[in-house]
Amino acid sequence: MPYTEFQTLKLQRHGPVGWLLFNRPASLNAMNSVMRAELADAWLELDRDPEVQVIVHTGEGRAFQTGVDVAELATDGLGMERYRESMEAYDLHFTAWHQQVSKPVIAAVNGICAGGGFHWVADADIVIAATTAEFTEPHVSVGQVVAMEAIGLLRKMPFEAVMRMALVGRYERMPAQRAYELGMVSQLVPPEQLRDVAQQLAETIARNSPAAMAATKRALWGALETGLTEACRGGAREVVSVWGHPDQDEGPRAFAEKREPRWAKPERAEPERSAPERSAHGGSRR
Amino acid sequence: MTGNYRGLLVVREGPIGWLIFDRPEVGNAMDAAMLADLPRAWHDLDADPDVRVIVNTGNGSAFQTGLDVRQLAGDRDALREQSRRTKNAELRISAWHNRVGKPVIAAVNGVCAGGGLHFVADADIVIAAQRATFLDPHVSLGQASAFELIGLARRGAVEPVMRIGLSGRHERLDAARAYQLGIVSEVVPDVRAAAGQLAEKISRNPPEALRLVKRQLWRALEVGLTSARREAAVAEMGVAIARSPQAAHLLSGEPATQPELLGEPPCHTPNSRL
Repeated sequence: MPYTEFQTLKLQRHGPVGWLLFNRPASLNAMNSVMRAELADAWLELDRDPEVQVIVHTGEGRAFQTGVDVAELATDGLGMERYRESMEAYDLHFTAWHQQVSKPVIAAVNGICAGGGFHWVADADIVIAATTAEFTEPHVSVGQVVAMEAIGLLRKMPFEAVMRMALVGRYERMPAQRAYELGMVSQLVPPEQLRDVAQQLAETIARNSPAAMAATKRALWGALETGLTEACRGGAREVVSVWGHPDQDEGPRAFAEKREPRWAKPERAEPERSAPERSAHGGSRR
Repeated sequence: MTGNYRGLLVVREGPIGWLIFDRPEVGNAMDAAMLADLPRAWHDLDADPDVRVIVNTGNGSAFQTGLDVRQLAGDRDALREQSRRTKNAELRISAWHNRVGKPVIAAVNGVCAGGGLHFVADADIVIAAQRATFLDPHVSLGQASAFELIGLARRGAVEPVMRIGLSGRHERLDAARAYQLGIVSEVVPDVRAAAGQLAEKISRNPPEALRLVKRQLWRALEVGLTSARREAAVAEMGVAIARSPQAAHLLSGEPATQPELLGEPPCHTPNSRL
C-alpha cells in the first residue's frame, strides 16, 4: 500500500518506522497552505498504517522547519487572514499532537528550526538534533505574536530560555548544544548520521509494547493539562487500561524466555494487512 | 525506633532520620511486606520530634528497582491490594503519597528502575552516586507507566522523561545527564556521606518554615500560578510572620539588615552547629 503522493511532504516506511519528511527545501521547508492541509492527512496516514510502530519526522535540505511561509503571506493577498478562522476556533491539524497520534513520534531536527517550526519540537514525544541545528523564534521581529508553540515548550523545558527566544526574536539563535543542556532535545548527532540514528532509536522503541506505549503517552501528555494529583488519577486510568491486555503476559514471558516479545497489533490499526516483514533496517533488530 | 520494618531499615542519627531500602539481594525491590511497612516507616519518621530531615537511600548496589513482581505474583492478596491502590491512585509508597511534612532527600546510590522512580519523583531533594542510573522498563514488559513519570515531568524538562518512558529497558539515563537536566542536584562518589551533610545543613533551618515551604511548593504543582501565589501568601501571613522576626521586619516595611539576614545563622535548634 503506497503512501499518498504529497506536494510538500514525503512519507516513507523503513521497517517498523514511518517517516514524515518536510519537502520544500528551496523554501527552507516553510509551511505554506498546501503543506498545512497535507500534514493533517499525513499524520493520520502513518498513525493508521499497521506496519508503522514509531514515527520519525525531519526535513529535506538544510532546514528542519521555518514556520509559516512568509513569501506566500506577503504575495497572495490573503495573508494571515486565511488562517483566522482556524486560529480563532483553535482548530489546528498540522502536528502529531493536534492529530492525536497514538504512536511514539520522534522529531529529528536536521538544521534550522525557526518560528512556527517549534510546533513540531513542542509536540513531538522525543526530539533529537544534528549538532549543527539551531533554534530561533523570529515572530516578534516581523510583528507577529508567538503563543501556542512557545506555550507547549514552556510546559516541557525551563521557562527562561523560551521567554528569551520569544522576546529576542530573530536576533539570536540557540545552538543545538544549549538545547541539549536544557533538555529540549535528548541527543545530538553529527548531521550526516542523524537519519540513521533516528532510525535506530525508532527501531529500539519499536521493541516495546505498542499498547503500553500508547497508554504511557496519553498519561504523560495528559499530565501537562492538570495539577499533579489529578494527573496521577488520569495516569491511573491509563495504567489500568492495559490490564488484561495480551502484552502484559507476553512481555514477562518473552523476558523469561530471552526472546523478542510478539506484541499484539494495536487496535487502531486496520486489519487487512499481513504480518510485518522486517526491512533491512528492521532485520537488524535483536 | 530501629527495626521492625520488613525490608527497610529506619535509623535515627541526630536530626536525621534514615529510611533505607534493605533487600539488596533483589535490588531492593518492593515485596508485599515492604509495601505494607513503608507507610508506617514514613509516618514514624515524620512524627518523631527529634527527626528534622529524612534521607531515603538503599543498601547494596541498587537504590530501588520497583515492585518485586516475582514475589507479588505468588501473593494474591498483596497483588490485589496493590492493584486496587494503583487503580484508585491511592499508592502509599513514597513520602508524597504518605503526606510527609518534613524535608525528604533521596540519595540514589545505584540503579533506580521503574517503580523506584517514585522515590525520585516524590522527594524534595535528590542527589546521586556517580554510578546511579535511571530507567523505566514498564513498556518493555507490556505495562503502561504513569505516576513516576508524571511526577518527574513536573520537576524539569519533559522530553527526557518521555524518552525514558518510551525507550523502556533499552536505554538508561546516567547520573551525569540527570545532573545536567536538574533531576538531581549533586553527583558524588559517596552519596550517603553527602546526604548526611546536606541533611545536617537543612536541619539547622527552623522546622516550621521548612514545613511551610515544602507544602506550598508542592501545592504549586497542583494549581495555576496566581492561585498558588495567593495561597502561599495567605499561609505565610498566617504562620511564618508571627514566628520570624525577619519576616516581621519585611512586613512592617522596615527591612532587616543584610548582616541580620546573611550573617551568622541563628541557633534554631539544639543540633545546629555554628
